Amino acid sequence: MEIVTKDIINLDLKTQDKNDAIRQLGQLLNNAGRLNDLEGYVQNVIERETLTTTGIGFGIAIPHGKTDAVKDISVAVARLHDPIDWASLDGGKVDLIFQLAVPESSKGDEHLRLLSALSRNLIHEDFRNTIRTSQTAQEVIDLISQSLTKALEV
Amino acid sequence: MNEVKPINLIGVTACPSGVAHTYMAAESLETAAKAAGCDVHVETQGQIGIENQLSAEAIKAADVVILTNDIGIKNEDRFKGKLVLRVSSGDLIGKSPIIVKKLMAKLAEA
Repeated sequence: MEIVTKDIINLDLKTQDKNDAIRQLGQLLNNAGRLNDLEGYVQNVIERETLTTTGIGFGIAIPHGKTDAVKDISVAVARLHDPIDWASLDGGKVDLIFQLAVPESSKGDEHLRLLSALSRNLIHEDFRNTIRTSQTAQEVIDLISQSLTKALEV
Repeated sequence: MNEVKPINLIGVTACPSGVAHTYMAAESLETAAKAAGCDVHVETQGQIGIENQLSAEAIKAADVVILTNDIGIKNEDRFKGKLVLRVSSGDLIGKSPIIVKKLMAKLAEA
């Protein structure tokens, strides 16, 4: 299964706070059949968030859960209708969320390389900007796939 | 004060879940160091395992070693006797350009 598909992208997510955003994205992942246990996954992501914030700055948050509650390694993408607080490292609000779902036992999984490549891409402003200005979910998928392919060839 | 010039930086990044911060921190440090004209090599210790492992030569040639302090770094005794800076992966993600500039200024004083 691809790590990102149209049904786990929401380019206009309406939410007031981070736990609700995490839950809504968890719901998307669950509806797409990518989780074994929605509650277990959401709790795992929220617990991870209490260790250190995943608001990495630049308006981006990368909440993630690594748990057996996840069936298929995935990244759900949301652009927020209104930016929200995420206790970000740079103090700014978040308008773009990449929520990762990783099975506990995914060691050596090729998909982990995709997640590491995506993480590296997020450091670059031009990548973030193109995601922010994408018109459709398919555009987002194409952008992510293109950049990942490039990253994995190196 | 001496002239600030490019330095040779190496680093190792790691984070609790090993899927995202490790790589963002590495990419951020590499990008900032290259932009400043420095030599840079960053090893990642993530869920995938160890990648871009630092060679003995790279360690020997380095002016400074940057280690993330979110979780323990494997084989840290390799860096005995080197100048080591410990920062969080979050600091590297957000502030690598400043960290690199400060290190260059600091080493120029020495």
